[in-house]
Amino acid sequence: MYSELIADHFMDPGFVGDVENPALEFEIGNSVCGDRIRVQAGVTDGTVSEIAYRAWGCATSVATGDIFCESVKNTALADIASRTPEQIEAMLGELEPSQHHCVHILTEMHQSLLAEAQTQGVI
Amino acid sequence: MEMQELSGYFDYNATTPLSDTVVQAMIASLSQFSNASSSSKLAQGNKALLKEARQSVARLLNCSAAQVAFTSGGSEANNWAIKSCLLPCSQAPGHIITTAIEHPSVLDTVRYLERAFGFTVTRLQPQASGAIALAEVEAALQPDTQLISVMYANNETGVIQPVEGIVALAQARGIKVHVDGVQIVGKRQVDLPALGADFVSCSAHKFYGPKGVGCLYIREPDQLEPLIHGGGQEMGMRAGTENLTAIAGMAQAAQDCTSMVAQWDAHYSDCKAQLMGRLEQLPFSIRFNGETCVTQAVANTLNFSIDGVRAEALAAFLDRKCGIQVSIGSACSNNDASKQHSHVLSAMGLDEARIQGALRVSFGRYTQLADIETFVQQLEACTSKLLAMSEMA
Repeated sequence: MYSELIADHFMDPGFVGDVENPALEFEIGNSVCGDRIRVQAGVTDGTVSEIAYRAWGCATSVATGDIFCESVKNTALADIASRTPEQIEAMLGELEPSQHHCVHILTEMHQSLLAEAQTQGVI
Repeated sequence: MEMQELSGYFDYNATTPLSDTVVQAMIASLSQFSNASSSSKLAQGNKALLKEARQSVARLLNCSAAQVAFTSGGSEANNWAIKSCLLPCSQAPGHIITTAIEHPSVLDTVRYLERAFGFTVTRLQPQASGAIALAEVEAALQPDTQLISVMYANNETGVIQPVEGIVALAQARGIKVHVDGVQIVGKRQVDLPALGADFVSCSAHKFYGPKGVGCLYIREPDQLEPLIHGGGQEMGMRAGTENLTAIAGMAQAAQDCTSMVAQWDAHYSDCKAQLMGRLEQLPFSIRFNGETCVTQAVANTLNFSIDGVRAEALAAFLDRKCGIQVSIGSACSNNDASKQHSHVLSAMGLDEARIQGALRVSFGRYTQLADIETFVQQLEACTSKLLAMSEMA
């Protein structure tokens, strides 16, 4: 079963798509279940100004991509970097055991965004 | 049950709704509280109910009432047949033949006997068609083979196994045969005495009866060890006061099925032909998993994969957005380090992407041809949306 949070973001995602000339781009994958998520973002003055993603995976994984994008849009990279593991886990709400791998996906999305921001010199 | 409520239900192999006649039979039984084992006058009604119920189920299976023992369902019947046949041999454990595509209640029971008592086991792999090759069964036979346990029709692909040939091989060597008939009874007419298997398991909720009741057909009832000791119920083979409401429901379901199963089967064939024809028109790469011909697979079942789509996400979309229920071949595991792929599709040799894209559609007596058209339209819309979501430049 899916929580309303997961169901809403899966059924009606707001951030599926592409960013033109993205400042940041990364792709993560779960080698076990094969989920893949690609994120593109624009950054203005240290803040994520645009963001979009595409995903191939289970419903919870697709929803995770959308929840991530929604949470970082118009947010300073420094603030994103200060999120704790507990805060990140709480972003997905209540999960069934079979959906817990998405916490790792969400954590990896945070790490990849910040790593890419450092590589591109925007943080 | 309102037809409208079932227009999106395509998971009849998982379970079926109670028919109205079954509901009425169960309600009627509720006021009859007496214990059918009692000799009182009050109990005569329930004694008669039990007797007639056994006859109704026997008519469905074309066997005698004495060969029908009620159980709590298919899993119990599978456990009973296998354990009661083999535990008397536990001091001299021999060889078991089964297949890699059985229901867990067979696979795990055989695994238990292997681990606890030292039985040796051959688990036959299916061909790409989903069927076990009869020649492989014959090649697996050993001088000490004590039981062959094989399903009649597979729950995921609907593929019918060569049970008649297996029984012939076994009978020629004096080997017992157990057939898990859960997915055939209610979909095809069966004649268990003609089949010749020693034991056949059935489950009522697969043919519009209630959950929690089934039966074991026993060819020679005096040849099987009791399942539960301690009472005279079920000819002394399964102690415990009978669940007469469930049995009354199963009996009514059996009566309905006896008279209607040929008509239902023909309807399923029409549904399957329409679904396959429409799927082949869709602008996706769709591959059918296992044999689809209705002579070699039950007509109510179709298993297929859509390339590039994760079936778990597609099934969630169909369910939440369209009210359509299907089953899938792969799901996320509770353990991050493992996957839950269909053991049936894996044994058939399908690659991982195809298993992850596998959907099982199963029809029932309430499925309308118009429902198939709606299903295909919604499938196309949801698949297109998921493919667009995952399209990475």
